[in-house]
Amino acid sequence: MPNFLWPGHRDVPMIGDTSLAALLAGTELPPGAVSELRPLAEALAELRARPASDELEGEAETLAAFRDQFGAPRMARRPPVGKARSRRRPLPVKAAAAAAAVLSLGGIATAAYAGALPATVQRFAHDIAGAPAPGSQPALAPASAHPAATGGRAYGLCTAWAHAKAHGTAAQRAVAFSTLAAAAGGAGNVTAYCATAAPPGMSPSQSPQPSPAPHATGKPSGLPAPHASGKPTGLPSPHGTGAPTVRPTPHSTGKPSGLPTPRHSGH
Amino acid sequence: MAGILGAVIGQGFESVLAAAQEGSEVAFSRLWRDSNPALLRYLRVIAPQAAEDVAAETWLQVVRGLAGFRGDEQGWRAWLFTTARRRAIDEARRRSRRPEKAIEETLPGWLPTAPDTADLALEQIGTRSALSLVARLPPHQAEVILLRVVAGLDNQTVARLLGRSPGSVRVAAHRGMRTMAGILADADVTL
Repeated sequence: MPNFLWPGHRDVPMIGDTSLAALLAGTELPPGAVSELRPLAEALAELRARPASDELEGEAETLAAFRDQFGAPRMARRPPVGKARSRRRPLPVKAAAAAAAVLSLGGIATAAYAGALPATVQRFAHDIAGAPAPGSQPALAPASAHPAATGGRAYGLCTAWAHAKAHGTAAQRAVAFSTLAAAAGGAGNVTAYCATAAPPGMSPSQSPQPSPAPHATGKPSGLPAPHASGKPTGLPSPHGTGAPTVRPTPHSTGKPSGLPTPRHSGH
Repeated sequence: MAGILGAVIGQGFESVLAAAQEGSEVAFSRLWRDSNPALLRYLRVIAPQAAEDVAAETWLQVVRGLAGFRGDEQGWRAWLFTTARRRAIDEARRRSRRPEKAIEETLPGWLPTAPDTADLALEQIGTRSALSLVARLPPHQAEVILLRVVAGLDNQTVARLLGRSPGSVRVAAHRGMRTMAGILADADVTL
């Protein structure tokens, strides 16, 4: 019975510094490297190999969460990433809020504010002014959720959520809910959305469920918050870097990880 | 034979990140497609029972924190894998608290899964086989190898991520490589 962890049948090959660096970096082994290292280099190349199709599954769920976080209508209008954007600093959410505030003010006030705002905000204000219904979250509120609840898709999303809620893991619950919330136009609309969701082949009016109360969406009782899945509190990580794992309000803290990054320390 | 995974976005990373932070789905999709395969490979070794779940949870957390993130591509990967690691640890704890789970089912998150040497020799060393090779290493060595080779992080970053000294990370990488070379030599794998 061989000892798999540290085989004693053959000499374990020596690995010099240059070879080690090449193995770690995935570059060509130096000419003097022992031949036993070649299979290892091949195995390491496989670790870096082109992604398999099953490694690219699940993108839709994450994108749904992304859409939910950033708001679908604006994002759909974004131009593709281009050279013109390369020098741009990320637009903080606070600035986005400032831009929204500018848009809601009158002309004189806008000009006054705009003069004091950074260029990114100006551009952002322009971007969302050009997009239809910039304040589209209110517009997507309950009334419009009903026509969106079309047959099979809505029914499927609602069923998936119900199933995940009852039997799923935290991740499955979070994914199911965020997908559903994105389709419903917001977490607050989920109850109304699902109330009208009919099984495939049935129109909402044929739905066996009673018609929803018009203001049922105010407090969707029983629906967990979509982002409550990770429960890091009270669980110290063994090599704790000090920062809690989940920050419910990431924008205000600006520190998503406890790892300072070497080249961009300022924030 | 430089890898396909790794710093594939390179120079354009800053603008891709900035666009994603402004809500560009196209840009965020690029980040996802660039990083998810590496993330899954890492998790398949350190959290084999729940790799997909932990990856999904990791991304949800990243989405929530994205607007507040500042850093370059190395920093982005460090953040992503730090998040994944914490989620994996939480997941392992959650499993270990479940009374109905046998202890054998809770431990493998940090234990190597060991296929037969014959399997290694018979099939081509594909990515999955290479991952099972790494999974045979002691957990710390396996993690160091994955973070260096698959995540593409430098020694310093890995040390910080794991809360170890750079020296100990370097030693772990060296030992891990030697062990794997020994296993492959023993299995008589020729490619």
